[in-house]
Amino acid sequence: MNAPVWSALREHRHLLVPAALVAILLAVAAVRVPQLFTGSGLAGAVLVAAPLILAAMAITPIALAGRGGVDLSIGPAIGFVNVTLVTWLVSLGVEHPLAVFAYAVLAGCLWQAALAALIVYVRISPIIASLAGFMILQGVNLVILPRPGGIAPDWLSDWGYGTTLFGPVLGVLIAAFVLWFGFTRTALFAHLQLVGADERTAYTAGIDVNAVRFAAHLVAGVLLGLAAICQTGLIGSGDPSQGNTLTLQAITALVLGGTSLAGGRGGASGSVLGAIAMYLVFVVLSSFNFGAVSGFMTQMSYGLILVLSLLLSLVVGRGRGRGADSASVSRTPRSAVPNVAGAAP
Amino acid sequence: MTAATNLLSLVGVQKRFGETRALVDACLEAVAGEVHAVVGENGSGKSTLAKIVSGVLTAGTGVVRVCGVCPTTPRAAIDAGVATIYQEMMLAEELSVLDNLYAGVDGFWRRREPLATRRRVAAELLERLVAAPLDPDTRVGDLPLGIRQWVVIARALLRKPKLLIFDESSAALDLDATERLHREIQALKSRGTCVLLVTHRIAELVRIADRATVLRDGATVGRLDRHEITEARLLELMSASVQAGGERRTRHVAHPSRKPLLAMHDATLQGGSAPVDFRIDTGEIVGVAGLDGAGQDVFVRALAGIRPPLAGRVELTDSVSGVHDVDSVEQAEAAGITYVSGDRRREGLFPNLSIVENFGLALMDRHTGRAGIIDRDARQGDFDRAAERLRLRFGDARDRITTLSGGNQQKVLIARAFARGPRVIVLNDPARGVDIGTKRELYAHLREFASSGGAVVYLSSEIEEFFGFADRVDVFAGGTLFDTLRDDGIDEGPLLAAMFGTRPGVDDVGRVGADRVGEALGR
Repeated sequence: MNAPVWSALREHRHLLVPAALVAILLAVAAVRVPQLFTGSGLAGAVLVAAPLILAAMAITPIALAGRGGVDLSIGPAIGFVNVTLVTWLVSLGVEHPLAVFAYAVLAGCLWQAALAALIVYVRISPIIASLAGFMILQGVNLVILPRPGGIAPDWLSDWGYGTTLFGPVLGVLIAAFVLWFGFTRTALFAHLQLVGADERTAYTAGIDVNAVRFAAHLVAGVLLGLAAICQTGLIGSGDPSQGNTLTLQAITALVLGGTSLAGGRGGASGSVLGAIAMYLVFVVLSSFNFGAVSGFMTQMSYGLILVLSLLLSLVVGRGRGRGADSASVSRTPRSAVPNVAGAAP
Repeated sequence: MTAATNLLSLVGVQKRFGETRALVDACLEAVAGEVHAVVGENGSGKSTLAKIVSGVLTAGTGVVRVCGVCPTTPRAAIDAGVATIYQEMMLAEELSVLDNLYAGVDGFWRRREPLATRRRVAAELLERLVAAPLDPDTRVGDLPLGIRQWVVIARALLRKPKLLIFDESSAALDLDATERLHREIQALKSRGTCVLLVTHRIAELVRIADRATVLRDGATVGRLDRHEITEARLLELMSASVQAGGERRTRHVAHPSRKPLLAMHDATLQGGSAPVDFRIDTGEIVGVAGLDGAGQDVFVRALAGIRPPLAGRVELTDSVSGVHDVDSVEQAEAAGITYVSGDRRREGLFPNLSIVENFGLALMDRHTGRAGIIDRDARQGDFDRAAERLRLRFGDARDRITTLSGGNQQKVLIARAFARGPRVIVLNDPARGVDIGTKRELYAHLREFASSGGAVVYLSSEIEEFFGFADRVDVFAGGTLFDTLRDDGIDEGPLLAAMFGTRPGVDDVGRVGADRVGEALGR
């Protein structure tokens, strides 16, 4: 039938479950929390969800590159940029938006470069290296800023009012999407998928596997910086520990979005959908009155939804094996086959 | 010949992997516009040599010049004009054919040409190679083995190499496809490409090689020109222990009291194909042949209980306990049917485990004591006996199985199969990537097994394997059992004719078909 559409659908098969999940949650939210769909409701949603969306995007290229690449340090790294921004930068009087953006992105990249050096060149397992990074930054953040405090530059604090939908936070998100889209059009992205899918194939095809992995971390660094800016805008100050929870949430969003932790399969659009789904779960659950245990309910729901969505993608993924795809190959490739048909009894 | 005209020049190359000396003194020279074969038994170092030329490995000592450089990475070799088709079929299964074809062609950031151009070029090339349309957006993991092989070949051709290396790469191709491949090789040759054919398929290289370099135990032992390349000469050089000549093993004496052992009744293997009836008796060795995808693969899997037939039944007859149904691996196991696959990577090995662990897995129940603890001494004892019997060559039994050569890996799997004390052994192309010495040992062991009352079902993609070995050969075509050949019928002509779906002397159209195949084989 319509070949390009089918192949596009097949290519984005992993988005099916997260997209359906978001659709269902939106429907539930429309009933339970109609105020979400007003101008200020959406503005608030974008403001609150942005750090998680960007964090989930940030760890996507690392996971795509394979070898079990999962960045546990993402949360504290966002926290690190947040606390250094409100302490060091503000005390130095550096408040210009360009300088702040430049600092955040640079700090993110530097951190990822350090991590990548350990993982790619020293060949420490990613989970160990980033776990060590998690603990180190957790401590460093508390040394820099022992308790929540400090004040973000005025322009950034103003983001936190979240009065209009088409504000700077949405601008940052869109900029991140555009950046990511551009990135997926590069040869580097193709190499990234190849390295993640089969490292030996990539190496023997002449791809510099180490450089590709390193570049994946740098892309993560840029997105990490943007996530930190949005996080700072959201809380308007510094918080040494709030970033920590982002690690597990971002990984959950990544997996919800259909990206394989084994590498090669998935993409940022899945992670974004995953993050949005998590935010909607939070919003919907807040509309029930669970009182003091509402936080636990949210956590538990994340876990349940994660497991259910993985089960569901298994069922959906079933269809892809022998049936649909191999149909695109003609099964009568040999010139001898007519002979067989003609002479067989 | 001077160094200037040599596209490839390796002198006195050595390579060690720990204690193993893969190459001792390898020399190889090849010029543009020739098909140069590198021949040797498994473990003779020819794959190592190919990997050094491709830049995957670097030589320990010795001089390596490939298209004017000494490559230390695959990138360097590729840039110098080398394209390699690896034995391991380097493909990212999650990605599309197109992604795999153009892997590594681009710069770090930018694509060299638009995707639309690539899709068109790829589709044309694949259609020519596969002789059927193939959508370049298909996921490689969904393709059958034979087609994947073409994807790898297409990738190499797209690079327009000066030096093209085939490392045992026609193994997964059927006859017709091999013929197409040979046409491609001729075309490359006429364009001045040097084609390096690393192989142990002697019949193939006798046909198409211009020159050959023979390796034995990591050293170059001979260089042959076109007129010197004969089967006898190659065998003589390759292995001092193997007798030269197309000698046929003596036919064994039929087992005096044959009893029905395993049978398949009214079994449908593929939708729409005629039902299959099959029987094997004690003491029998039955060869199974067919073109790619003609149903023989499905058949042996059904026999071994791995994937029961769509309809019909498989039964094992026991002289004491009667008839048992076989429609699962558990039942096959209980009935004493063992399956050995030639696709070791997928269906045989646990690459992360040691040699002795790979061997002992099938015997876990016997080696496990009452408290669930493995009796390592008993396992080691069994392994030592098996290793001795099969003349397994290895460094330390605790080394990873992947440190062994392909032939020795296969021996471990055979040892594992024998150790269960089976009644029927079903082998699915076990000699894939195995050298001729190991093959002969394998035949001897299987013959011995059969004459002690067992039965052997042996699928092979190389029909030479059946000569003097199989009691009868069941040939599959069009998804069903097409013909059974015995005695003098077990020869190249009749077998090929049956594989192509014709019975010699039955109809003239069939004759033409068989002759065409004969021509393709250069006979």
